Amino acid sequence: MSLMLRICLIAASILTMVVMMRQIRRSKVQIEDAIYWVLFSLMLILFSVCPKIAYILSDLVGTEAPSNFIFLLVIFLLLLKVFSLSVRLSQLETRLRELAQKIAIDQFEAEEKDSVAEVTGEEDNRCDRTAAGKAGRN
Amino acid sequence: MPKLLLIIPAYNEQENIDRVVGNLSRNYPQFDYMVINDGSRDHTAEICRQHHYPMIDLPVNLGLAGAFQTGLKYAYRHGYDYVLQFDADGQHLPEYIQPMLDRICQGYDIVIASRFVETPKPLSMRMLGSNLIQAALKLTTGATIHDPTSGMRMFNRVMIREFAMGFNYGPEPDTLSYLIKNGAKVAEVPVCMEERLAGASYLTPINSAKYMLRMLISILLIQNFRSNKVLRQK
Repeated sequence: MSLMLRICLIAASILTMVVMMRQIRRSKVQIEDAIYWVLFSLMLILFSVCPKIAYILSDLVGTEAPSNFIFLLVIFLLLLKVFSLSVRLSQLETRLRELAQKIAIDQFEAEEKDSVAEVTGEEDNRCDRTAAGKAGRN
Repeated sequence: MPKLLLIIPAYNEQENIDRVVGNLSRNYPQFDYMVINDGSRDHTAEICRQHHYPMIDLPVNLGLAGAFQTGLKYAYRHGYDYVLQFDADGQHLPEYIQPMLDRICQGYDIVIASRFVETPKPLSMRMLGSNLIQAALKLTTGATIHDPTSGMRMFNRVMIREFAMGFNYGPEPDTLSYLIKNGAKVAEVPVCMEERLAGASYLTPINSAKYMLRMLISILLIQNFRSNKVLRQK
């Protein structure tokens, strides 16, 4: 592994950390999400400071050069992150839909109740419920 | 008489909720409480409606932090002086509420119900995690918190505001470390806790390990970079 690659790795991971920490300071990112990137950049620093680990793992996996192993690992980790993000996005969209639907239905029901109360308020206060039922059917 | 609200986040607690909340409403009518149903898929909400327990019914599951924050926003709007985080699974015992309230009225920001002030921790994996978090808190803040993972915590008005309006304020030990560094005064009150009455705990070994790792990284690394604010004048 060349010296240049090691320097690049260290620079990239420090940059990641700095950007992440600035986002935390500005209250832009949740700590749960920051932890992944902190671990990620720590890992890159570890590889560049002691390349021995990369050599050992590279031999184990069977990649031609330790730098190839690092690329492979980074691609794999990023794939995992993209996948988990797309799962979260789906969940988020589902929840958003549920929320919007619930608010809209609740609002309609509240308005309906108000208008029914106005009409029946003048004629008959006792059978609020049956009036609401009728209004719902009409 | 200070106004105290018990916030009871509940997620799929149909077996426990009636016993826990029923006990509170019968034997401790002096305390206000609010159940936060965190989008449970079982009958938690129906049981609360049936018994007319005050309940905020979240339409989707927000997780503990989101559910608890809902309660804090309610408390903040309605002018409560203190809130207590109280579990719906029967672990927390209401006889310790009054001692905690007495303690926080002496001028603390946070009072933690601690299982290990006098009694030593039993040897288990979970307690190893608890010790690690305790050490991380000691290292970063200098404060000794015997039971940092205790879920029974009381907060004063300043903290209610912080938690209700702030970002990255989960009710967890890492927030505790941030708050202590910013001048919050924390006290512990010795208590006993029960095992949960029924149902499965979220804390499986894998989840516990993940939780511990998250807390340690957050306390040791990330919390140091958050912007500081003055919580109280010294």
